[in-house]
Amino acid sequence: MSTEALVDQIRAIAEQYPERESAIMPALHIAQERYGWLPPEALCEVADALELTPAYCKAVASFYDMYHLRPTGRHLVEVCTNVACALVGAQQVVEAFEAELGLRAGETTEDGEVTLRAVECAGGCGYAPVVVVDHRYREPVRPENVPAIVEGLRRAP
Amino acid sequence: MPLRELVLEGAGERDLTKLGEYREVGGYAALERALGMDPGKVIEEITVGTLRGRGGAGFPMGRKASLIAKGSPNPTYLVVNADESEPGAFKDRQIMGTVPHRLIEGCLITAHGIESRSVFIYIRGEYLHEFEVMRAALEETRGADLLGGITIVLHRGAGAYICGEETALLESLEGKRGQPRTRPPYPPITGLYASPTQINNVQTIATVPKIIELGGAEFAKIGPQNSPGTAVFSLSGNVVRPGNYELELGTSLRELIYDIGGGVAGGRELKAIIPGGSSVPVLTPEQLDTPLDFDSIAAAGSFLGSAAVMVIDDRCCMVQLALRVSKFYMHESCGKCTPCREGTRWLVQLLDRLEGGQGTQADLDLLDSVCARMLGRSLCALGDFAVYPVSSYMEKYRDEFQAHVDEAGCPFGGESSVEGILAPVDQHSHHKTVEVPA
Amino acid sequence: MSTPELVTVTIDDRAVQVPKGTGLVETALAAGVEIPVFCYEPRLGPAVGACRMCLVEVEGMPKLQAGCTLTAQDGMTVRTAQTSAKAADGQNATLEFLLVNHPLDCPVCDKGGECPLQDLTFRYGPGRTRMTFPKLTFDKPIPISPTIALDRERCILCYRCTRFSEGVSEDGELVTVNRGAQSMIATFEDEPYRGRFSGNVIELCPVGALTSTQYRFLARPWEIQNVPSVCGLCPVGCNIDVTTREGKVKRVLSRNHPEVDEGWLCDKGRFAFSHPHARDRITEPLRRVRRRGFEELSWDDAVDEAERMLRAAGTRIVTALSGSETIEQAYALGKLLRQGLGAHAAVLPEETSTALDALRLPLSAIRDAELVVVVGDQPVEERAPVVDLWLRAARRRGAEIVTIGPTGSIQTPPGSAPQVCRDLAAENNELGRRLRGGQRSIVIWSGPDGRGGEHIAALAHALGLADVAGSGAFYLPDTPNGRGVADAWSAVADGEPADPEPIALLIVSGDEAAANPGVRALAERAEMVLAITMFQGLAVGWADLVLPGTSYLERDGTYMNLEGRVQRLRRTVIPPAPDELAWLAKLAGRFGVELSPHPSLVFEDVSARLFGGLAFADIAATAALPTRAKAAPRPPLPEPEPQLGGDGLRLLRYRSLFSGAAVERVAELQFQRPAREVEISPEDAAAKGIASGNEVAVRHNGTSVALRATLNRRLAPGVVRIADEHAGDLGARVEVGRA
Repeated sequence: MSTEALVDQIRAIAEQYPERESAIMPALHIAQERYGWLPPEALCEVADALELTPAYCKAVASFYDMYHLRPTGRHLVEVCTNVACALVGAQQVVEAFEAELGLRAGETTEDGEVTLRAVECAGGCGYAPVVVVDHRYREPVRPENVPAIVEGLRRAP
Repeated sequence: MPLRELVLEGAGERDLTKLGEYREVGGYAALERALGMDPGKVIEEITVGTLRGRGGAGFPMGRKASLIAKGSPNPTYLVVNADESEPGAFKDRQIMGTVPHRLIEGCLITAHGIESRSVFIYIRGEYLHEFEVMRAALEETRGADLLGGITIVLHRGAGAYICGEETALLESLEGKRGQPRTRPPYPPITGLYASPTQINNVQTIATVPKIIELGGAEFAKIGPQNSPGTAVFSLSGNVVRPGNYELELGTSLRELIYDIGGGVAGGRELKAIIPGGSSVPVLTPEQLDTPLDFDSIAAAGSFLGSAAVMVIDDRCCMVQLALRVSKFYMHESCGKCTPCREGTRWLVQLLDRLEGGQGTQADLDLLDSVCARMLGRSLCALGDFAVYPVSSYMEKYRDEFQAHVDEAGCPFGGESSVEGILAPVDQHSHHKTVEVPA
Repeated sequence: MSTPELVTVTIDDRAVQVPKGTGLVETALAAGVEIPVFCYEPRLGPAVGACRMCLVEVEGMPKLQAGCTLTAQDGMTVRTAQTSAKAADGQNATLEFLLVNHPLDCPVCDKGGECPLQDLTFRYGPGRTRMTFPKLTFDKPIPISPTIALDRERCILCYRCTRFSEGVSEDGELVTVNRGAQSMIATFEDEPYRGRFSGNVIELCPVGALTSTQYRFLARPWEIQNVPSVCGLCPVGCNIDVTTREGKVKRVLSRNHPEVDEGWLCDKGRFAFSHPHARDRITEPLRRVRRRGFEELSWDDAVDEAERMLRAAGTRIVTALSGSETIEQAYALGKLLRQGLGAHAAVLPEETSTALDALRLPLSAIRDAELVVVVGDQPVEERAPVVDLWLRAARRRGAEIVTIGPTGSIQTPPGSAPQVCRDLAAENNELGRRLRGGQRSIVIWSGPDGRGGEHIAALAHALGLADVAGSGAFYLPDTPNGRGVADAWSAVADGEPADPEPIALLIVSGDEAAANPGVRALAERAEMVLAITMFQGLAVGWADLVLPGTSYLERDGTYMNLEGRVQRLRRTVIPPAPDELAWLAKLAGRFGVELSPHPSLVFEDVSARLFGGLAFADIAATAALPTRAKAAPRPPLPEPEPQLGGDGLRLLRYRSLFSGAAVERVAELQFQRPAREVEISPEDAAAKGIASGNEVAVRHNGTSVALRATLNRRLAPGVVRIADEHAGDLGARVEVGRA
């Protein structure tokens, strides 16, 4: 997507709201889809589209967990480790991913393919432990399911 | 006690995400009926039905609507709080994912009642699938000309527990950092874009069609007098059959956990019950017969909250649990007000030391004191939510806390069910995170 | 206006009556009770209730309440820490929480001794810490600009600074990033905080988190003197406190005049104070000596030399004034030259119009206006910065602000302001009709200079604004005391100025006059030049005698600001040379003119002629605005001016706020000076194939200036805009193309 197309798309979304500023969250989502994360130039583009300052966009983006202000891998694996998942073995799932990917939670594989994160309650407590792979829920996930998930990611186009 | 499905009705048998199927089971009939009613009459039915907010606070929806500023030069907005983030809760996710039209119908009826032309549904960012289901359902509704000139905007959040707090949600929706506002003024007077705003939880709004269908008086006969209707209980933790169960309010904890949920998994012993999401005070097995309604749970010293019931078996170290829960609130504290921002971090440090075996008697006293000094002093409820688990675990499982001091370590000796659980604040993340020294 | 309903509130058992809706903090103050605060600052907008310092017990409410968010209601009973153990515990707890991660490095903190966190901890806080963990650490200090250092460990996250940036100056450059305990104040990436008002955040900060790089580690609060004075760098005349130590100015602070500045200062006024210590400051008289350049001479010799030049020139003298002289200096010069020598010819800094006196308003009236129309070529913020803040405050309160000019909300070509005045005055003009019908309508002229004051007054009179108490007009002059200087000069004598030919002596008074190309041109025609300047760079080189000038920070006297308010300047430090009045008085004596070297006595003389005998001593620390004049001239509407013909783009030059002799000499302000760029409208850029950031050549009549192009969406098509200092000799019509 070109910068112009991005700006146009953001401005179209802004039309839905009584005040332009409201479109900042959808705008950041779109910009992040384009870049994979929110580098400074993405924040500047969002700022430009919505007539805000880049600093303001950074202030908003850094408030929310789902906006990435550092590069992430091509795939994102998020393991919920909040209470309900913790009670039924989330830590073993985290460790299985760490072993399979050869990294610690919070890190990205050296080839830049996969980022592993522990996340707060994903809202799948009844189907715990919950793993979210590229924003799609896998519920429940046991340590023994982990190799297949990683294998799937490695083979994904 | 059988299921009593009002909100999830029919979703087990049919694919109610499809407009046609929903209409087959009488969908949008309540809307048609409501549109034939005077707006004031719609709100009156809701008031008579004593529909209490299902988001956590249990405030009557009809009373909220009656507070909407009349004669404001600004438009009136309806905002649906679909930012379900309370640990333990996953009911709104199921409502949006399986009966999206019921929510949309509820929105349209409510908008008619409060004479609003503009609805925003703020959907938690992680619920991408549910967002897509809602978007498709909304498209169908629009295509079938059911919106009647009302605009419904689906707004995706981006990962912030605090945005479930209504004023933080409004700030976030306006494009700001999602930090709560000081109140008054309250949203019915000065809400979204400084305009009169009705804001309700997903389940509350999704219940509205049923009230119109049955009539408020009939609805009020379901369940206990002060908390009529049903709730979708999110059952999780160490239980045989976790999941969402829609039941009449007033069902007892025992019925939910044992009759419906099949009891504690693996034949373990029940140790603790969190009745309304991680933010509420814990209950003990002796309180199993407490009815699950707003007033009874309050009488038992806790809150029904978002009706998220978490079952904890005897393998769990309550200090570890307190530490994990505290890390969550530290992570989610918005940083606006002092007691919450500083206190949540201090609690984590103290609990971490205690769990690590370096805690002293003075640290236990300090934990009590920090809890007491945070309670009731924060700008919004999150400061209290961070305190309730810690102070209630300390009160009800004092021996266990004391043992950590006396034995200079965790009495579970590494065998606790939540041993070593990693929290997002512990990891090197995309946001710089707090390093809590041991 | 109806009288507000009075309510009775009881605070710590003291009953007090205040208007309903008064803030509880102010209500308590009226009862003589302190409700301590950090984040509360009414000038920043509605209370946010963030810091929780103000917790009080309110009867009927189970929880402690944030006092700052409450307003007075009848019958309310409030207890503060003085009479409520619960409130005392709440406030004590807030301080404990604030100090948990505060470094307590008070011994090396600039704020120490004037720090609200220290003071409130002393009064309400815990005496010992229960925090036994390593505190949260951040990289520090971080220069958020060359003028401001940020220490994130000291920050208590009261959000005063970010609320200022978002809600007062509206620059949006200083923000909070991250969440929870990791929240911190930041600019975007490594960009400096470039706002025009950034320095206010230093004063707003209730701890030592935001400090001035110019003042860091220089003084302890008990070693300094604060002298109340008035800023002399623009026509607003913001009230200031000048901090001095050992005879030197160390910093400039705002001093709230609620009608003039509301306690805000621009960064030029705040940070340019070090210019008197510039390396090229002239401290001794200098005389041109053939082939040897300049030599210093004694003051006695210098006065003799000046006398000789004056006697030789007789009436063939032209005096060029800067508009930065005090009223007393201008009057003294006039008395010497006009009464003593009959030399009436002068180049006044600008034309002024007394017609505005019938339309007079305090600047704060802008905030309360319903409709404000700004006409002119120059943005308000470049010439009278604090007026821009008043306009923003008005907009936030719901006023409509219409700007008409090359970068306005209604775009017009440069130079069309007189025509705009005519248009607005026409019966069928919609905007004019609304101005006419309003109860609080204000019109403002913002450049070009010349007869703008007269034109805007003519418009305002035509609209009947003089007859409406809340309506009026402002002219934003180019110089800080142009009106005062012109009035004082004219008040001295009635003699008719005749243009002397040839000019025997040109007297250049002040650095601004010396920098004026028109004055330079006169100097080439003059047989002799006497210049009074502070810095080597300006008149030295073409003057025959240079007498050291002084800064507004070194003078005693008065200025008249753009409202027509006469304000006191105080000598904050002793200048390195005798001030102008001292040697003028001596010189005047040589010509039999009686002139006191004391500003107070000179003022008495002026005041009798201009200010109805107002006594020097009666000019209050926050000076009053004279009442609106009943009888004032009513100038006619401006005649239409021929529009400039020709091809190419119209060049709009502007003088940046961050320009001039003082700013050029302050290292910390260099980052604020205008970039070497030409602003161009997106339409013209597209037509010429120019993108933002391209190097372009701006050409006119064979001269060419290389600049970087930058797109300005608000600029009218057909116009390009360049800062004066980068526009070189370019004329009014230019061609722009890729370099």
